Amino acid sequence: MEKLFNREIAALDDVFGFIDGFIEQFSLDADTAFATRLVVEELFTNLVKHNQTSGERILIRLARDPSCLTIMLKDFDVDPFDASQAEPVDIRAPLDRRRIGHLGIHIVKGLVDTLTYQYTKEERTLCVTAVKNLEAKDVRHQT
Amino acid sequence: MFDIKHDSAHRVLLIGRFDAAQTETARELLSTIEESCTLDFAGLDYISSAGLGVLLATQKRLGGAGHGLTLVNLNPHTRDIFRIAGLDMIFTIE
Repeated sequence: MEKLFNREIAALDDVFGFIDGFIEQFSLDADTAFATRLVVEELFTNLVKHNQTSGERILIRLARDPSCLTIMLKDFDVDPFDASQAEPVDIRAPLDRRRIGHLGIHIVKGLVDTLTYQYTKEERTLCVTAVKNLEAKDVRHQT
Repeated sequence: MFDIKHDSAHRVLLIGRFDAAQTETARELLSTIEESCTLDFAGLDYISSAGLGVLLATQKRLGGAGHGLTLVNLNPHTRDIFRIAGLDMIFTIE
């Protein structure tokens, strides 16, 4: 299933409606459903915030086969961007040294098995793909 | 749908889906908290990093004055997200 969404945080209601339809169609269990909602939101809002000059909508594509869930977002007419290369969050830092923000990709990495960013220079398109193996039901975390 | 409201002087209820579109709504109420307070998550289905950021900012502000937030009734998914983010060490979670 895929759909285009306006490049704005206010589009999240529509995004979640789309995700709910996917969850229902493929009868995802509660853990996978929760991970899908969170991963899509984090990746979508990341693209909205970091590519504000593009006038294009963002494509979200969700797919499920027996072994894995694939979440793909495609952004058009944008500059290169790879949030997966951001400096790791120090989750052990005490309150006074904890940074506000930068948790989104950290959480995504804790919920999926692979996260890749691919930029096509000629087309100025960015494709973010997150894959969650469905055989491993545990929520993973980085050490 | 998201709602945040006082249940009593020192207890706040969070209800629904706390996503990035709801941060201003949450920030508006949480900015009025000046002492230690309990946040009741019993009605909250979902929270993303945007919501965590608002709570963390509140905790930082209150912590500077010797106060803090206690989070109660988190569902297992929400509790897991706090753990992944390392925020289970920052908040009192019951």
